[in-house]
Amino acid sequence: MPAEPVLDARGLVKDYRRTRAVDGIDVVVGAGERVALLGPNGAGKTTTLLMILGVVQPDEGSISICGIDLERHRSRAAECIGFAAGYLPLTERMRVREYLQLYGQLYGLADPGARIEEGLERFRIAHLADAMGTELSSGQRTLIGIVRSTLHRPRLLVLDEPTASLDPDVALRVREGLIEVAANEGTALLMTSHDMTDVEHVCERVLFLSAGRIVADGTPASIAAAYGRGNLEGVFLHLADRHQATTSQQSDHP
Amino acid sequence: MTLPIASELSPRARSWLRMRAIARRHAYVLVRSPHRLFDVTLWPLVDVVLFGSLAAFVGKSSATGTEKASGYLLAGIVLWHVIYQSQIAMSTGFLEETWTRNLLNMMVTPVREVEYVAGVAMFGMIKLVMGVGVMVIGALAFFSFHVWSLGFGLIPIAVTLLVVGWAISLLVIGLVLRFGTGAEALAWGVMFVLLPLSGVFYPTNALPTIMRPIALALPTTHAFTALRGLVDGTGLNWTQVAIAAAGSVVMLVLAAWFLVRMLTMFRRRGYITRYT
Repeated sequence: MPAEPVLDARGLVKDYRRTRAVDGIDVVVGAGERVALLGPNGAGKTTTLLMILGVVQPDEGSISICGIDLERHRSRAAECIGFAAGYLPLTERMRVREYLQLYGQLYGLADPGARIEEGLERFRIAHLADAMGTELSSGQRTLIGIVRSTLHRPRLLVLDEPTASLDPDVALRVREGLIEVAANEGTALLMTSHDMTDVEHVCERVLFLSAGRIVADGTPASIAAAYGRGNLEGVFLHLADRHQATTSQQSDHP
Repeated sequence: MTLPIASELSPRARSWLRMRAIARRHAYVLVRSPHRLFDVTLWPLVDVVLFGSLAAFVGKSSATGTEKASGYLLAGIVLWHVIYQSQIAMSTGFLEETWTRNLLNMMVTPVREVEYVAGVAMFGMIKLVMGVGVMVIGALAFFSFHVWSLGFGLIPIAVTLLVVGWAISLLVIGLVLRFGTGAEALAWGVMFVLLPLSGVFYPTNALPTIMRPIALALPTTHAFTALRGLVDGTGLNWTQVAIAAAGSVVMLVLAAWFLVRMLTMFRRRGYITRYT
């Protein structure tokens, strides 16, 4: 158990109509820890992240960010979190620097200029500062999104599929940048990914979700060993099969 | 442990910073989307020409007719745009987040709902001044109708209508949160329902009998009744203004309550997935 959790989510339950998306899970992440939340499609990963971000309200359970109760003090808790997702667009009709300035200020930075330059340099995209958001490739937009999410030096960085649809070079830059953010600024990472290479490179701890429950929690190597597989990909495929069988059974017997 | 940089500013300073950032974000939308200027320049001008010409036509049968018709129609349409501009600015400000799939980006930030609304309303005031300013100048240039000749009584009436516009926009935003972007047609449609019922250009006794009770229940009806008093030269009817002001405040409180309820439902049912 981490000594000083930046995220302390307990007993999370979420139902969508008759489907239980998340079924009583605990997610505890310590300062500077790099954690992956893995699982097949429909396992409850994104719902869990959205609950941690305060956008979806859990039916049961509690979430505390840096010791701040998320339900009662969402705005204060949100100041401690950064969020980026590969599928999110940039705000339209703005240049990159304007966009980053906007989000820096939304996170309470009166003059985020220096942080913007630092973030763009970190991901080697300083040349994009004056480009319009609509002129960027999807990989560049993802990188800008990650820069945005780290401007205010968050205690917890939540990433949903940060390297989805990126070429290997950009994916590598993302991985290196995230590790640097965690190492230099003490930021904890909680990320989902379907790319096991990402996870093995970036994360020191893995939570496997299946049918809304955590079925494995440990280092990538210990989980692979526990399931008798050579790597995380083998575990993922095994659990995906099991998840598929479980959900088929549930739909056969409503 | 490195603390988030935001902790260097006071909560009040952070809140003000966020509101200004939201207002600036919407300024970029307007400046970089020339077609959005239609709402605050061309459309108000078209309305002035339309209603001013109508006043000139129907009023030419008597000596005082033109003046009175101009007063009713032009003052009515100018003040109507106070509701229209304030409502559309706020509603489309929020809808912009849904159209560009930016809602999740915005909702994960520390921006409080009240800060977001205040930021959009701040920029909405600029659009309102632009839109109404174009109309005032147009009425003077094309029809020699000086809106300010009606006196300072216009101010409380305009403030009341501004509040009604905000209330309607909160209602529209709440409905979009609940029913999705399909409900956005209400942003425009609701205004066309309110326009005839509020007696913007005529006393409510000109309405079909069955509709009069509905008209009298609307704060806008009393605001426009007070406006006609100014046009008729009988002075500001403070009773009508007071009814309109009280009604608009009640409307705003109910709309805010409705929005909070819809936002709670939005979070509970996970409707954010419609926009990701």
